[in-house]
Amino acid sequence: MTALTGLSTLSALTAQSGAVSIDALRLLPALAPALGALLVLLVDALAPRRTLPHLVVGALALLMGAAGAMPGALSPAREPVLTLCLPGGPDGACLWSAGPLDSTLQIGLLAASLAALLLLSDQWRDLPGDRAVDVALILASAAGGAAVVAARELGTWLVALELATLPVIALVVLRGTRRAAHGGLTLMMTSLLSFAVLVVGTGLWVMATGDASLSGTAIRTAWAQPDQRAVLVVAILTLFVGLGFKLSLVPFHAWTPPTFVSGPLPISALLATASKLAAVGALLALIAPFAGLADPHPHALAFVVGALAIGSMLVGTVVAFRATDLVRLLAWSTIAQAGWVVLPLAALTTVGHRASVAYALTYAAAGLVAFAVATAVRTAGGEPGSERGLAAYRGLARSHPHVGGPLILALLTLAGLPPAILGLVAKVVAIRPLLAAGLWPLAVLAVIAVVLGIAVYVRWIAVLLAAPEHRTTAASGNNAGTGVEVQVGPGALAVLSLGTALLVVASVVPQVLYGLLS
Amino acid sequence: MLLIPLLVGVGLIGAGRIVPTPVAHNVAGIAALITFGLAIGVAIERPSVDRAWLPELGVRSSFAVDGISIPLVLLTALIGVLVVAHARGEVPDGGSAATFLGCLLLVVGGALTTFTARDAILFFLAFELVLIPMWVLITRFGDPHRPPARAEAGWRFVLYTAVGSTLMLVGILLLVASAHSSDLGRLLEVAPSLPRGRQLTIALLLTVGLAVKVPLFPLHTWLPSAHTIAPTAGSVLLAAVLLKMGTYGLVRFPVALVPEGFGIIAPAVAIAAVISILWGGLICLVERDLKRLIAYSSVAHMGFVVLGLATGSEVGLQAALYGNLAHGVISALLFVVVGGLKRRWGSVDLGRAWPALREVAPHRGFLLILGLAAALGLPGLAGFWGEFLVIMSAWAPRRPGLEDLFHVCAVLAAIGGLLAAAYSLRVARLIWVGDEPDTPAPGQSSEENTPLAPDSTPHVLLTRPSGDAAVDVETRGVERVVLLVLALGVIGLGLLPWLAIDIARPAVQLVLGGAP
Repeated sequence: MTALTGLSTLSALTAQSGAVSIDALRLLPALAPALGALLVLLVDALAPRRTLPHLVVGALALLMGAAGAMPGALSPAREPVLTLCLPGGPDGACLWSAGPLDSTLQIGLLAASLAALLLLSDQWRDLPGDRAVDVALILASAAGGAAVVAARELGTWLVALELATLPVIALVVLRGTRRAAHGGLTLMMTSLLSFAVLVVGTGLWVMATGDASLSGTAIRTAWAQPDQRAVLVVAILTLFVGLGFKLSLVPFHAWTPPTFVSGPLPISALLATASKLAAVGALLALIAPFAGLADPHPHALAFVVGALAIGSMLVGTVVAFRATDLVRLLAWSTIAQAGWVVLPLAALTTVGHRASVAYALTYAAAGLVAFAVATAVRTAGGEPGSERGLAAYRGLARSHPHVGGPLILALLTLAGLPPAILGLVAKVVAIRPLLAAGLWPLAVLAVIAVVLGIAVYVRWIAVLLAAPEHRTTAASGNNAGTGVEVQVGPGALAVLSLGTALLVVASVVPQVLYGLLS
Repeated sequence: MLLIPLLVGVGLIGAGRIVPTPVAHNVAGIAALITFGLAIGVAIERPSVDRAWLPELGVRSSFAVDGISIPLVLLTALIGVLVVAHARGEVPDGGSAATFLGCLLLVVGGALTTFTARDAILFFLAFELVLIPMWVLITRFGDPHRPPARAEAGWRFVLYTAVGSTLMLVGILLLVASAHSSDLGRLLEVAPSLPRGRQLTIALLLTVGLAVKVPLFPLHTWLPSAHTIAPTAGSVLLAAVLLKMGTYGLVRFPVALVPEGFGIIAPAVAIAAVISILWGGLICLVERDLKRLIAYSSVAHMGFVVLGLATGSEVGLQAALYGNLAHGVISALLFVVVGGLKRRWGSVDLGRAWPALREVAPHRGFLLILGLAAALGLPGLAGFWGEFLVIMSAWAPRRPGLEDLFHVCAVLAAIGGLLAAAYSLRVARLIWVGDEPDTPAPGQSSEENTPLAPDSTPHVLLTRPSGDAAVDVETRGVERVVLLVLALGVIGLGLLPWLAIDIARPAVQLVLGGAP
């Protein structure tokens, strides 16, 4: 719905220059989820309180969106999918431009939303809340995410970015528990703050370039003028800060752990994967035009991106080492991994962009598998939260190999250790552009982060592989290790099997992923 | 050849406890045998595979073998068959047999991939592939008496090698970025002409990274604990296969590709190597745990190998490769012998008295003496040629201006060889000749033991009541066959050294052709 508002804003913006060409089919990645959201509400009005129809409509809408992005991702010519073009304008005047990278991100994002939806559907029995609203919100967020990735105009970009974020806040809060409200509040404060920063950044950007489009030409002209260049640098740094909140980069990360822990797990999964992919797309749209700039080289930009990335990687990894709760571990490792995603962008080359997208998709796949496992493990009769504790996972790989195995694979992927070659390749691909660009210190710090990261994840893998504790002594384990149950719902099962299959296949033949991007 | 161990290994781990133990043994045994057969085929035919694998990185899945890798491929495949066969008689506690065998096969497959990879980045991926299965072998299947030590050994192993390999990764990436290719053949043409400073950086990164794996003093501290804790099959793989990956990497990368850079750091490498030799030898003189002792002697032997590499001459390189191979066979032999002892006796603490092996188990005793003799470099056995040629090459290095340094190194290395003789005889005296009275009364011998082992940890004494020393420690069944094959290898390599040297000659000359 808001997407339509966004589109109408956009047509109003461009109305003075004549009619805009709109190709609905090319807009499908964003349109399908948006229409799907409406449809779900409609279905709910006709058949209230049902589960299956909502789920089917939601899944179909997301799949249609992903199918709509396929041509862009697979097109042999590697040309961007363009639409919403201004009549008679040059190449850069299209307001929707989804290159192969963007289309791949859209597919990943829609798939991640679908996974979160499936995970959520498993919990509908136990959780309060209105199913139709759940589905509609996830779809709306997906529509926003898909739109922001391809948006090449700051107005649309901003609106779509908020559209990707705001429904998630509602999803966290709608659970109605005190903890959820706390998490939702944190998330909302952060979002508002980042929105304000982004608006300021947008204003500065328009001031610098005299143009709301994110096209290369306008930026190049502005970059040539020293005065405008200064404003442009300030603008993009401000926008970075705003996006830093969305990506949970250090020092804008503080909201992530409390929100992840307090909200329902499927929503945390959505925040950790689909929202991150959307934010990466948004960042990419901003930073892509800077790739070709040479005179003078945007050092400040590279420095800030690199510093944010390294800070996130190191802080996230070090704190994750202390985590004894799987969701907390995933929250902090999200922060660390966000650093990895942003790291190759510091090279300011197209190779770096590809590396970033590849890393983001790898991370999202592994993260979803890990979250799917987290939803399946429960403890009977422990304290609240004990089902996510280290103790509950002791020996999981032996007692429940169908759950423990995928979790190990996911953690290995995040750590970048073979046999999960995918994760290692992603890290290699991420470091390479830095060396090519001569950014030595960043590469060395990244290597340190790799080693620290291995320590973080191997600690958990060791616990998963350890012998299960049959007896707990009265002194040490009054709640730990007792009655761990593993219930894999149908949705989690689908996510687990598909995600694991994806990780395995992509480890054996990484060009499945990298072929899409190059 | 590569796919079989990897696929079967993954399959066995995935299947876990579903597979009954005998089936797992048979499947793994057949897979290892086929791999060995294919390895022989590969060694004769020398096929090569080259296809696009990861266009984003310009990485091709390109595999081929040459004179440097063939002996190692054969060694690895053979050791693969032997460890799987050995596991028939001995699967340690800690998990299902299928998992254990799966991990063994994964390590073998990863090592084979490493030795055959013709692409720098592929090499790195394969190098890393071995890490996790080996870690599982150490932490899950290791010494059942000491869980905390097991965890610690596992940690050390993972963190040390991870640091090493990430350093190596940076080196490789820098190399690839400078030479615009990751194909080893192409790199051999381009890389030696890189500017001096760049070569130095690359050589430094690669050498330090690989030195962890070798291991070279002062980066060796992970090895003894890993060896002590690992199950016999794990120790064998670690010594015979994993360490070889480190030296193989040294030959392939710093020595061959950035000769100028490696030349600058060669003196430092040589000094570290000599310290490894002496340090390892000295520790062996006082070390009480026999497995640990052999681990330290590995450090000393690898010191010889690295010293040979540092000389930069053809003889040195040949000697290094040969010593590498010999050490693989010898240490495998020793670890099987000692691992069997440790499992039956519960510990192999040299501080207490043991029955004379020559009497209670003549076969095992003989094999132990054979292994020790080979390790101290007795002519006619495998260890001799490697050490002899290394010292010779250090006397005539191809490093202008550094002859004096290498002369000193050669003398010190020879002293290291003497130390090897001393500690080998010490072990022979303690274990083979034995201290314990022939017919110990249970009460009497425990009284004797306690003062002899004042600082041995209490649980060793607890888990090792003295009467157990009387258990049958003779080699049996499969173990005997495994040992026999290894012993033949030791003697064969000693009597016919030119076999391996001839195979390696063309490749060695090619490698050194790029050197200034």
